[in-house]
Amino acid sequence: MNQLRAAENGYQSRICTSSIRLLCWSGAWLAATALMRFGPKFLWNQASILTLLAIGLDVAVGVGMILANKKYVMELDELQQKVYLNALGITVGVAVIAGVPFSVMGLYHVIPFHPEIWHMLLLMGLTFMFSIAYGNWRYR
Amino acid sequence: MKNRLKVLRAERNWTQAELAEALDVSRQTINAIETGKFDPSLPLAFRAARLFGLRIEEIFHDDDGRTPATEIK
Repeated sequence: MNQLRAAENGYQSRICTSSIRLLCWSGAWLAATALMRFGPKFLWNQASILTLLAIGLDVAVGVGMILANKKYVMELDELQQKVYLNALGITVGVAVIAGVPFSVMGLYHVIPFHPEIWHMLLLMGLTFMFSIAYGNWRYR
Repeated sequence: MKNRLKVLRAERNWTQAELAEALDVSRQTINAIETGKFDPSLPLAFRAARLFGLRIEEIFHDDDGRTPATEIK
């Protein structure tokens, strides 16, 4: 059998490292967002300077998460990038198509609750996850 | 685009995972290329050709089975 020589720092190993890095940044962003959202009410009694600091921290960690995500996508191979790009396209499309009618429904009280940003984030997250799963199934 | 990747791999007793590692892609990508679900980029096709010691057109060819070389003839 001909011996194959694997790349110095293999694909799986690089993807694993990038995934862990992205997971850590996502967790940090979630924590920073929770601090920004609930800190003023429960931790520092709405002190403006601390609220501004929490907002600054959230934005800074958010930028770190975006860069980690960008690095993760760049590490993916071409098929995985295609799956990722398709999923992003579907997610943006669903967000635009569903977002406008959803806000109109809230505006004219067609739905019994007020549309919140997290409703859209939840929809986008679920759409993205299903799109990635579909893409992986399609090219399995 | 059709290809002989599966045959060439089998001739050398390589698994999809081993080939994927050598080409620095996922095993899923090798499987998708072998089954014709995904066409590789030119750089990946060059890497495969280099690995097998063949020309690109000896591995990948058009859907009608003609390679550029046979078309010239």
